[in-house]
Amino acid sequence: MATTANVHQTKWWSGGKSPFNMEYGKLMMWYFLMSDAFTFGAFLISYGSIRFSQNFWPDPNVVFNAFPGAGHANLPLAFVSVMTFILIISSVTMVLAVHAGHKGDKQAVVKWLAWTIVGGLAFLSCQAWEWHHLITGEHATLIDGQIKMVGQTTTVNPWGDLASASAVADALKNTSHETLVQLVSSHDHSVSHEQLAGMSQEKLISMVNAADLHIRENGPVAFGGYFYGITGFHGFHVFSGVVINIIMLIMTQKDVFQKRGHYLMIEKAGLYWHFVDLVWVFVFLCFYLI
Amino acid sequence: MSTHFDPTKHISSSAAYPEVSFHHHDTDDAAFKKKVRKTTILLSVITIIELAIGLAIYTIHKGENPNALLVLMFKGAVCILTLAKAYYIVSVFMHLGDEIRNMIMTIVVPLMLFIWFIIAFVADGNSYKNLRNKYDKHFQESTMPADHHKKAEEPKPADAGGKQ
Amino acid sequence: MSEALSVHPEIVTTHDVHHDEHGGGHHKETFISKYIFSMDHKTIGKQFLITGIIWAIVGGLFSVLFRLQLGYPGQSFPILETFFGHWAKGGQIQPEFYYALVTMHGTVLVFFVLTAGLSGTFANILIPLQIGARDMASPMLNMLSYWFFFLASVIMMSSLFIQTGPASGGWTIYPPLSALGQASDGSKLGMDLWLVSMAMFIVSSLLGGLNYISTILNMRTKGMSMTRMPLTIWAMFFTAVLGVLSFPVLLSGAILLLFDRNLGTSFFLSDIVVNGEVLPNEGGSAILFQHLFWFLGHPEVYIILLPAMGMVSEIMSVNSRKPIFGYMAMLGSLFAIAILAFLVWAHHMFVTGLNPFLGSIFVLLTLLIAVPSAIKVFNWLTTLWRGNIRFTPAMLFAIGFVSLFISGGLTGIFLGNSTIDIHLHDTMFVVAHFHIVMGVASFFGMFAGVYHWFPKMFGRYLNNTLGYIHFWVTMVGAYLIFWPMHYEGLAGMPRRYLDKSGWVSFNQFGDLDKMITVVSIIVFAVQLMFVFNFFYSIFKGRKVTTQNPWGANTLEWTTPIRPGHGNWVGEIPEVHRWPYDYGKDGRDFIPQTEPIGANESKH
Ligand code: HEM
Ligand SMILES: [Cu+2]
Repeated sequence: MATTANVHQTKWWSGGKSPFNMEYGKLMMWYFLMSDAFTFGAFLISYGSIRFSQNFWPDPNVVFNAFPGAGHANLPLAFVSVMTFILIISSVTMVLAVHAGHKGDKQAVVKWLAWTIVGGLAFLSCQAWEWHHLITGEHATLIDGQIKMVGQTTTVNPWGDLASASAVADALKNTSHETLVQLVSSHDHSVSHEQLAGMSQEKLISMVNAADLHIRENGPVAFGGYFYGITGFHGFHVFSGVVINIIMLIMTQKDVFQKRGHYLMIEKAGLYWHFVDLVWVFVFLCFYLI
Repeated sequence: MSTHFDPTKHISSSAAYPEVSFHHHDTDDAAFKKKVRKTTILLSVITIIELAIGLAIYTIHKGENPNALLVLMFKGAVCILTLAKAYYIVSVFMHLGDEIRNMIMTIVVPLMLFIWFIIAFVADGNSYKNLRNKYDKHFQESTMPADHHKKAEEPKPADAGGKQ
Repeated sequence: MSEALSVHPEIVTTHDVHHDEHGGGHHKETFISKYIFSMDHKTIGKQFLITGIIWAIVGGLFSVLFRLQLGYPGQSFPILETFFGHWAKGGQIQPEFYYALVTMHGTVLVFFVLTAGLSGTFANILIPLQIGARDMASPMLNMLSYWFFFLASVIMMSSLFIQTGPASGGWTIYPPLSALGQASDGSKLGMDLWLVSMAMFIVSSLLGGLNYISTILNMRTKGMSMTRMPLTIWAMFFTAVLGVLSFPVLLSGAILLLFDRNLGTSFFLSDIVVNGEVLPNEGGSAILFQHLFWFLGHPEVYIILLPAMGMVSEIMSVNSRKPIFGYMAMLGSLFAIAILAFLVWAHHMFVTGLNPFLGSIFVLLTLLIAVPSAIKVFNWLTTLWRGNIRFTPAMLFAIGFVSLFISGGLTGIFLGNSTIDIHLHDTMFVVAHFHIVMGVASFFGMFAGVYHWFPKMFGRYLNNTLGYIHFWVTMVGAYLIFWPMHYEGLAGMPRRYLDKSGWVSFNQFGDLDKMITVVSIIVFAVQLMFVFNFFYSIFKGRKVTTQNPWGANTLEWTTPIRPGHGNWVGEIPEVHRWPYDYGKDGRDFIPQTEPIGANESKH
């Protein structure tokens, strides 16, 4: 096995040194992220497989159109863009923290890490709001010939195809009194809830116009499972990233890295954090854009 | 762990590698800041374009006759933009672009597995749909969106009630 | 184990022995830090090995039990009732028990024995020793890797003792059976424990694999370029890569299955009626799970096989006193196998309703594996060809491995053709195929490794006579057990059935099945004899007195007979040549540490 390589070149592979000029910890982090990419990849690809096995899939713009404090305003994709920007910005602050670590600038490391943590927590709060909104939302949905008020859960999806006016008119007859009250009151604010509650079934039905209710049939159940499953798994990564960053912050404060002479740990934490951002890019694509 | 051989100290610490010259690609502070700023702006702009496309798809869907091909093209564009975003995050933020070429290869090459992974899974999902539409009429009628619905129903109105 | 003395007075290392303060030598370790929470890769390797042996006994015993049912359906063995109570009412193995046994046999042997017990053991022991490193890149994570495996073992073991019994849906745990508790007893708590245990197992395997990869890349000693690494190390490397990229996919599948079981989601469920009850689940796909499972499952079979291939190559070269034939071809074929392993998973799914066109691409890719496999077989045979063969037990097992790999690989080609697979799928033919090519062959690789490196692990030899008995009985027994299964399968006899005596057409196989059962009991007994040999020899075996008992070139034989933590006393040796200079220039062997001579011939 005579080596004929040019002697003047660095022989990266000849042993006794890292062929990538990279300490083992960072290498392991990279390959760990690689395997984690396969975990997420498997989730997203399963989602794709199921989506391709369905005749209908909800339009994300219809599903994700709420904004905290904006009531029932139709603001498609607005909130998720906020979430996306939060993650991008937190990724930038993490880059700056790692950079500060390279320079051994403890104060700057602390500052940027703290901002990154804030970003992570902000993202998690947004996600909590979004989940809460989706689960507890009440959408009039045509299910099995009657109209029900349902939220987006792992067993029901309220965002199927738009139901025809005739189907809705039929369904209204089978719909419970309580649901009718809700339906009417959401359109007609002139009558109080109590008054409506006292009205008869027929009266209530006559007050709604089946044509402009825009009621949907129930959609593919798999939507909820995948949405909560995958964003939840991502959120779990964000959460663990925040925990890691908090640990890094404490260690920095305690001068652990200063004493060690390098801030390589921060670099590894940074890789993890960027990965979380990277995954979000794909989650964003798969669930919100296409 | 007092006097005995402590591998964490003597073997594994980066100190065991004087050969690893922790080259910092971004020693030039200003250049680094500029690069980060540029990337941030780039990522933001791409995201905004993506959102715009998302909304465009929304309006197309709302319109009278959604153009399926146009929607598909828009979706394709978003996918490409997403890959561009991923590239910038990995290459700049994660500094992969600054590593030794071989290192980059060990990350990029295994990712190629995703190509067949995606094609096979999606193709089989699609084939499952076709099989079900063919052999499970109830599935077809209960899930096919309205406009296709009518076409599918016309030849056999008797089936309209479905199985349930 | 006696207080291992790292430095024997009579041992001379090949290098100037200057005792620097952190050499292998005299250090005080507590029992806990030395044998329990040890960070020494050699101890961790032994922990994997011994845990693996315990699991192998358990898993092997399961197979003996269900073979009793298959060989003697309807017959009563009162002793079974004594031990297993209502699981074997009236001395007969009950259906639930049978399915639990089959499932656990597969799970235990595939994952706990032939994955953790095999690559956990030998990657740990051999990687640092053969590349010239003091330990793994991260000894800490390496230790955690074992303890996650231990945790997985405890969970899996505990599932054997719960009221409803362990998982019973087959080692491939296909939903909907595995997703619905009401479908069978084995789909209740036992299934959850299976999934949680596997999740822990995957963590363990990732921790291990990441460590192996970064150790091999980063920690090689001076001069140990990648193409000077023994093939064992290359094999472990690809094994680790396979694991790191495919186990996460199983993890995803397991998580989704857990959700389906416990949170009412419908990832894998749709249109299901159980016991007359119509389930609300809708829209999922059971085939999707099979895709996820086999995306790991197929690489997994190579995770099991590659370490055996690597060790066989090394042992064969050492004991033929010849260089391995076609080192680069061996390496290239390992690489090709590793890549193809990721591309062929759906050949396990030809009859699921997989799109036939997609299936045809999978046929093509599957049959391509025959090429690198054939290259390897050819190279092993030519390594043996006109060699100066020493028939040590390790060498016999290595040769046996090649025989088994050929037999089992050929039947793979039958199965890889989807048209033939329609007939053969889920028959005993498949059982014969994968037991020969994966089960027994990998065990042979493992035995070869244990016999060959036992002196390095424990400073003593295994008993040779017992070794020869072990080899011949196992070799003959394995063929007697599995060869006839091909005929059964070709005749259409299904696998995993409790009792096939109801089919007139299979009655002709009644005696054959009895024979198989008897032989499996004998083979199992001989494995127990090996286990005895193993533990006996740790304490009482013949002592190793020379540093390099096999006359091998690789670095592990330059360490002291009983190396301490850190492996080499003094400096780590430098490497100057590839590891296969046997019978060169009139010399029997030239260790890797010897510089190239002035007028040495090229190999
Ligand atoms: C030329 C090489 C090979 C080909 C073409 C091949 C092909 C196949 C095919 C098509 C099946 C599916 C059979 C069925 O279920 O109907 C199968 C099953 C199997 N093969 Fe192979 N195989 C090859 C080598 C190997 C090797 C080297 C291993 C292991 C080291 C292996 C392990 C298995 C296992 C474990 C199963 C059965 C899993 C189960 O259903 O429980 N095969 N093989
Ligand atoms: Cu396979």
